[in-house]
Amino acid sequence: MEKAPVYFITGGVRSGKSTFAEEIAHELARTHSGTLLYYLACGRAQDEEMQKRIELHQQSRQNSVIPWALGEFPRNIDHSIPFYSKQTIVLLDCLTTWLDNELFSINSGLSKEHLQNVMRNMLESIETIRKHCYSLIVVSNEVLHEPLTSNEIVQAYQKTIGKLHQELVARSNQAYLVEAGIPILMKGNR
Amino acid sequence: MHFITGGAYNGKRKWVRALYEPKQWISAYHNHPLPVRSNDFSEKKIVLEGIEMWIKNDVESRDGSNIRANWKTYIQSWREWEREEEDRLIIMIGTDISKGIVPMNKLDRTWRDVTGWIYQDLTDLSNRVDIIWYGLNQQLK
Repeated sequence: MEKAPVYFITGGVRSGKSTFAEEIAHELARTHSGTLLYYLACGRAQDEEMQKRIELHQQSRQNSVIPWALGEFPRNIDHSIPFYSKQTIVLLDCLTTWLDNELFSINSGLSKEHLQNVMRNMLESIETIRKHCYSLIVVSNEVLHEPLTSNEIVQAYQKTIGKLHQELVARSNQAYLVEAGIPILMKGNR
Repeated sequence: MHFITGGAYNGKRKWVRALYEPKQWISAYHNHPLPVRSNDFSEKKIVLEGIEMWIKNDVESRDGSNIRANWKTYIQSWREWEREEEDRLIIMIGTDISKGIVPMNKLDRTWRDVTGWIYQDLTDLSNRVDIIWYGLNQQLK
């Protein structure tokens, strides 16, 4: 089965990466008639602040000309497949939250084996989703620019994020780094 | 000289390996001492990996004031060695540690500052500079 193209977008906290991801989705929807929008949210509202952020993002999507369908999948995101078709543009927000949910939901520590399993399963889920949608937009966070800690758990976590991002960039048709609201095209052509 | 930077775990090492196939790989991550004199070099293409960790050692063993000046001397002597023969090349890899929150610990703050300054000097004295972002390079110089 043919696989949907991947658009990879990262940036720092509050860099405007989600807004830009929504813009990409709208652009794709406008230029390909008959496509639908599906927002695949991995975040769980664990406190009031998170709840407010989620509401803010929901509001921006409600004001959108093209309506969004919403799915909340903190883990096992390939379970979202029945909710869309080959005409759907899927926006996954975001990779780091999803990774956290997969890593810390089972109390198995951060052994090398666990990390590798989680990463392999996540990449498989992404490939499965690509077979069932029109385009896949993946949003993630830039978290690898601070002094490395001597904490081995944090190091293992950072290494996993780095590898996941390298894999996503390698698989993507377009990759963007968003800095202060400005998307910088790192791979592909617009 | 070629300076390569970028965030941790972004594929810098892999990129350098693919581009140069270097023979002598000197790494702070494997606790190799910093080759302050060029007579430690036995090949034509030399990789110095983990610049920020060698700087960290310096910061931990003395106050930050002379470190940058000392590094300028090292970099200049590497460059002189490189210029002695046509096909010599020094490849320096340093992880970008400049974009997190301000560290609580004074030594860590000094480390971060000094690393930033030395990276500027490295860029200044290098013929080529690249940032690696998840396996992709962006040539800055």
